[in-house]
Amino acid sequence: MSALTCAADLPPPPPAELAPATTALIASLRRTAPANTSYAEVRFVHVLRRPLVLRGELHYGGPGQLGKRVDAPYRETTTIAGSEVNVQREGKTPRTFSLERAPELGALLSGFSALLGGDAAALNLDFAIETTQHNDDWRLNLTPRSPSLVKQLSAMIVDGRGSEPRCFTLREADGDASTMLLGELAKASLGEPPTREAVNKLCGSSGP
Amino acid sequence: MSEGVATNRWLLLGVWILVLVALGVAVQRSLVVTSDLRAFMPPPRDADQKLLLDQIGEGPASRLLLIEIGAKQESFVRVAELSRGLAQALRGDPHFTRVLNGEIDPAALDPSLLPYRYLLSPTLDTHVFDTEFLHDELQQRVEDLASPAAGLLKPWLARDPTLEMLKLAQRWTPAKTPQMRDGVWAAPDGGALLLVETVAPAFDPAAQGAAIDALIGKYHALGGTGIEISGPGYFSVLVNASTRKEAEWLSGIGTAAFALLLLVAYRHPGALLSAALPIASGALAGIAATALVFGPIHGITLAFGFTLLGVAQEYPLRLLSHRRAGVSAKDSLLGVWPLLRLAIASACIAYLAFFASSVAGLQQLAVFTIAGLIVAGGVTRYLLPAVLPARFRDVAELTWLERLRVRLDAAPRLRWLPWTLLVLACAAIGFAPTPLWQNDLAALTPVPPQLLQREGELRAALGAPDVRYLLVLDAADADGVLALSEKISSQAEQWIAGKWVDDIELPSRYLPSLATQKARQAKLPDRATLQAALDRATQDGEFQPDLFAPFVDDVETARKLPLLTPKVFGASLLGARLNAMLVERDGSALGLATLSGVRDAAALAKAVAQLGGGVRLLDLKAASESLVADYRTRIGVALLVALVLLAAAVAIAFRNLSRAWHVIAPMSLATLLVLAVLRFGGVSLSLFHLVALTLAAGLGLHYALFFERRVNDSAEARRTLHATLVCVISAVFVFGLLATSSVPVLRAIGLTVALGVAFHFCLSIIFNRRPSGEKFPT
Repeated sequence: MSALTCAADLPPPPPAELAPATTALIASLRRTAPANTSYAEVRFVHVLRRPLVLRGELHYGGPGQLGKRVDAPYRETTTIAGSEVNVQREGKTPRTFSLERAPELGALLSGFSALLGGDAAALNLDFAIETTQHNDDWRLNLTPRSPSLVKQLSAMIVDGRGSEPRCFTLREADGDASTMLLGELAKASLGEPPTREAVNKLCGSSGP
Repeated sequence: MSEGVATNRWLLLGVWILVLVALGVAVQRSLVVTSDLRAFMPPPRDADQKLLLDQIGEGPASRLLLIEIGAKQESFVRVAELSRGLAQALRGDPHFTRVLNGEIDPAALDPSLLPYRYLLSPTLDTHVFDTEFLHDELQQRVEDLASPAAGLLKPWLARDPTLEMLKLAQRWTPAKTPQMRDGVWAAPDGGALLLVETVAPAFDPAAQGAAIDALIGKYHALGGTGIEISGPGYFSVLVNASTRKEAEWLSGIGTAAFALLLLVAYRHPGALLSAALPIASGALAGIAATALVFGPIHGITLAFGFTLLGVAQEYPLRLLSHRRAGVSAKDSLLGVWPLLRLAIASACIAYLAFFASSVAGLQQLAVFTIAGLIVAGGVTRYLLPAVLPARFRDVAELTWLERLRVRLDAAPRLRWLPWTLLVLACAAIGFAPTPLWQNDLAALTPVPPQLLQREGELRAALGAPDVRYLLVLDAADADGVLALSEKISSQAEQWIAGKWVDDIELPSRYLPSLATQKARQAKLPDRATLQAALDRATQDGEFQPDLFAPFVDDVETARKLPLLTPKVFGASLLGARLNAMLVERDGSALGLATLSGVRDAAALAKAVAQLGGGVRLLDLKAASESLVADYRTRIGVALLVALVLLAAAVAIAFRNLSRAWHVIAPMSLATLLVLAVLRFGGVSLSLFHLVALTLAAGLGLHYALFFERRVNDSAEARRTLHATLVCVISAVFVFGLLATSSVPVLRAIGLTVALGVAFHFCLSIIFNRRPSGEKFPT
């Protein structure tokens, strides 16, 4: 028990050598900024009886620059500039807070930046990477290396096909999860109400 | 027999030194030195002055330290970590009442006070917890849960679905704050900014120094490098240290030069001890007497007291110079003792004027100086002659001294010169372009301009309150202050909206009045009503059932809470903030609201004056200037009374007005001349100049008395001249050295005394020269 406690306090282990296949896969995801893609996001929050569904567009403006626009069920724009997050919702005064107060967003940003930059080494710095591949389908299971982050965000999972990421799933430490379905999948029917199983099925793998 | 005398001499010397050491140890053990500048201010005359004395250096704004850490470092992540670490360390430190670094701390309210949020937050002023309100709020929470800020909300949602804690945290955060980076305040040059409020008042350099040392120690313990501190408290420590360092350095050189002068003048190392013993006895007696009468001694009393005791340095020198060959030291002294006694007595009488000034610090100074002079004079008369070495040189044998005396006697008399000087001096004083008085208290302890500029930058960056203005709320008790504060809060918001001022931090921002709390409490629904409203508000079933039970519990608790009094709130972590803004006095209460970024003081003053009803805008600078103006009137009167007392003492002792005139006239004219030269040079006068003028006048009295002295032979005249020369040269050198200081206070004292001594000396010669036939009657 005490050994476990000690291990938790240790600095993250040095990044392991990545398999060449993983490096190649991540390199193939490289996109030139700026890039836009529509999304549908399903959030499973334990205090809510039904999952939340948001639709809108993601904007990738290069490393460290991410914008998220919500079009439905309300209109809201989130921009990340440096370490500041700015949230503007229609009819409300804009809110600004530090990125580290929204760790999921920070993880999403660094994950996005590394993936869309095709930079496996950068991704490997922040996350322990586990890859599973099945024919054309693949899954990256990313576990944050930062001990403080992993207390809030237990894993980030990226599902994809070929050189296209299709789903981003964030699993929070309290059991809540959210999945962003990208591109073509954003238009898919999610079911009423959407379930974790249905979403996993859409993302094309054996499920979270 | 001569052996026996020598043994007695050494024995007496030994006992004397032992007594001094014992007294020194006793004094040092029991001495309490305070450094509160207010002891040197006159008693306040009106409410503003009274408040000023309370607030000077103690007001919330002046107790702030502005801090930047880790500027120009590469990784801000590390700097932000340091900022959080330092803030956490300081929050547990008894030196500080408030530490702000930008982190919003929702737990700032003590857990036991959490249900009070419904009485503290203004939500219930405009809403009720009915179905409609709760439904609207919960809809917003659903959207919040979908937003990137969801992580902030989730831990509080069940207990606080209407986000009262967030509203309070925002309410308690200053309106204008620096840029945020990585969750802490960041400066443009890459450092992190912190605002720290000390317990110690700004003008208590000792206590401020302890707080700053603790702060720097904690920062270094975190492994931090590069910390910049600014603010009034830090400046007082800095100025204190630099003044002390320079004073020590200059007086070190001065003492060495003085010792060298004594060796040259008396050709005997024993002269050093002889000169030191009376002044040491006087200083110790002065401290002991002051401590006996007043208890704690002010640091400035000590500094000024030692300065004024410089007069006593003359006593042993007179004894040494006046020793005659073939006559015992005791008998030699008897010739000049009546004059010396007169000088001591008249100086003591003059210092009584200080005692009557009703300024605590000056009263201490009077006791210190009078006791010191009497003891130094007494030991010079009764002890020193017995311990002087038997071997000495009669200075009357010096041939150059006789030549000098003859030349001084032969010089033209210039009777018209004093009158010309008087006219010129009055003209210089009357027509000098600069203000006569230095009214700005801050100018007494000047801070290097680049540091002041940096402080201004940091203060603006941090949105820290202005040290000059305070909004004063006058009411019968603390709750009355809070009620008044609520009453004017809407006007205050208008002033902020009108860009007259960036922010006004009213006490009711932290704690509403009891009446307001009561009204809010009355609007809280009972458990059944709230539960019913909540059930209807959540009937679309978005939230888990019973999720909001902690909310319902807290509201029920809040309904039955005793109202939060300033006293109870003041004991909590956050209460320190309110405590700093509430002052209890004479059975009534004052609220002090700080203002940040005052842009239009005139408009603000006018608007506040129209409000009336116990609300005032206090301009600390104007109040302190009126205080100083009042002060200088008192000092002026005290000095005038001192001069009259002195003249009376001398006239009574001489029983001859003409002789008294020859003593008082050069002294007065020389003092006037020093003033004229200072004013001609554009110097505005401060307390330090006045104290220095007093010392110079005391020395001048000696010169005038001894020049006026009727002696019966030219050898004795030579001894008088020798003594006066040694005194004048040493005083001009020691204080001339101080005049070269970069610290204005030291420069003021040094320049004034050095000039004064020179003028007193020259004028004494001009006034008192007589045909030699008259001077040495056969």
